[in-house]
Amino acid sequence: MGLIQREIEKAGVPTIGISIVRAYSERVRPPRTIFLKWPYGHPFGEPFHAAQQRVVLAEALRALYAIRDPGTIIDLPYKWRRERYEDKDIGAILPRGPQ
Amino acid sequence: MDPGRLKNRLIAKIITRFPSLADRFVVPYTPRDSLAIPWIPVIKSLEQSTIAVVTTAGVHHKDQEPFDMRDREGDPSYRTIDLRKGLSSLMITHDYYDHADADKDINVVFPVERLKEFEREGAIGRVADLHYGFMGHITGRHIPALITGSAPAVARKLKEDKVDLVLLTPG
Repeated sequence: MGLIQREIEKAGVPTIGISIVRAYSERVRPPRTIFLKWPYGHPFGEPFHAAQQRVVLAEALRALYAIRDPGTIIDLPYKWRRERYEDKDIGAILPRGPQ
Repeated sequence: MDPGRLKNRLIAKIITRFPSLADRFVVPYTPRDSLAIPWIPVIKSLEQSTIAVVTTAGVHHKDQEPFDMRDREGDPSYRTIDLRKGLSSLMITHDYYDHADADKDINVVFPVERLKEFEREGAIGRVADLHYGFMGHITGRHIPALITGSAPAVARKLKEDKVDLVLLTPG
């Protein structure tokens, strides 16, 4: 996935990637990555858990604006099935435009 | 189904249940130019940006040719996903991860309903109509085909589609 990400960025479009395997992202070095220590096949979490999926999406969008150094991997703190997402304020996670 | 595909699916199920095993099966490819990381600064605000998803989770339309699961080195081709056809037109072909949960709710790997919510709420400008699906697990001789062929082709299409930001999601 990181190889495709690199090609898109090369062509002129900013990218953010979600990683489930940190070792892979460390080797491939895509421009911007958020990492979740979650099982394969679940980058946005559990099925029908919209609150959880919204938090991951907001974190990805935030990282697009927050990452300043090429190759940065942000380790997200969310533990698999050990978090409560319903109370999280999406507006507080989302970026407020380029600073 | 042939025994090779059954074996791949079994391994995928085990890795999904025991993620610490994943590192043993993943042989990362290091790009030759990995020291030079491509970089385009984000200039437009999120509220004015058009976003597209590129996924390697094996997502495609049911009426498109499925990804090739017999080739051990994967399938470097891509499928164009048109959201106007609706989510019920989508399916996943990918034997190298357990997509039982993503089959129930595609947003687990391809978060288009959440993106549409963000669009309605004004958090993002627009969700693109066209998105792009690959099958991960591309190795060996298909890596050059990916890097010099299908990946730059998708990148050009995203430029033509006037996409401002791209979200990449794995399987």
